Amino acid sequence: MILNPLDRLGDEVNELVASFTSQPIAGSLDSVGFTQYSFWFAVAVLLMLVVLFVFKKKQAMSIVPQGTFVNGVEYVVEFVRDDMCKGLLGDSWKKHFPFIATIFLVVLANNIVGIIPGCKPGTGTISTTAALAVCSFVYFIVCGIKKKGAGGYVKSLAPAGVAFPLNALVWLIEVFSTILRLITLAVRLFCNLFAGHVVMGTFAILASLFFEPMVEAFSAMTAVQAGASILWVGILLVIYAVEIVVACVQAYVFALLSAVYVQIAESDEE
Amino acid sequence: MGALGVIGYGLGVIGAGLGIGLAAYGVAQGMARQPEVQGRLFTVFILGSAFVEALALIGFVVSLIVK
Repeated sequence: MILNPLDRLGDEVNELVASFTSQPIAGSLDSVGFTQYSFWFAVAVLLMLVVLFVFKKKQAMSIVPQGTFVNGVEYVVEFVRDDMCKGLLGDSWKKHFPFIATIFLVVLANNIVGIIPGCKPGTGTISTTAALAVCSFVYFIVCGIKKKGAGGYVKSLAPAGVAFPLNALVWLIEVFSTILRLITLAVRLFCNLFAGHVVMGTFAILASLFFEPMVEAFSAMTAVQAGASILWVGILLVIYAVEIVVACVQAYVFALLSAVYVQIAESDEE
Repeated sequence: MGALGVIGYGLGVIGAGLGIGLAAYGVAQGMARQPEVQGRLFTVFILGSAFVEALALIGFVVSLIVK
């Protein structure tokens, strides 16, 4: 009797999910340490810097941008500038462009590195995404305070023109939703990356589970099972393509939301 | 507990599916009425579905983590 390959799926998936928790590769988690996610984060940032410096060098070689590489990087930067900064922030886009572009490129580099088989995304742990979210949170609050003053910013959370008792209630709700932004920014990015990698891993496990019996003992039955694993690999490839899109879209969403929050903090309504 | 979690996740996904379906409906209609704004509409659609999808993914992750 051939064992049903699906029997082992539960254990394998549990093992896979467990492997996504942060494990220290140097030091310890309690004090100062270096997890596999910090390692891949450093790798992604290093890769990003290499790409940017090579771009800078190549761009300086000719007045007109030449080649796919230079044009590609320019396209990304112009996309951030036009789509996120100019479109949303209006006249003050120049002030915020460095921050928004940094956030976008860091998240994008991490997501793209995470897509490569064998690598892990630096943004695949809630700690990294929370740190990025805190950066964005602090940035837009500082922007608001710079523009309106501390008291003015706190007051501007509630819309003007609301009668007194309601005013306080609306202000409380607005404060709550502002703090909620910090959590949603972090959780959205983390969940997307985590769930995507779990799904990809599950289909990879399925493919290997269906293929294993044929390697151990060849028969007509195991050959049919191995044929089914081709289907799993097909689905895996489709999900892989979706994950590449998700990696770019999530970087875009993270940077765009940062821009939206800055715009909300700086806007002087009424 | 595991089976219940899966059922709960399925229930949660109904909402996300409806949400993305509504977004796609709106974008398709908008594009049909005004093909010039296709690019802008697509961005809005991607953004909207990213928001909706995040809810489904949170459910997925929670059902995996909470055992």
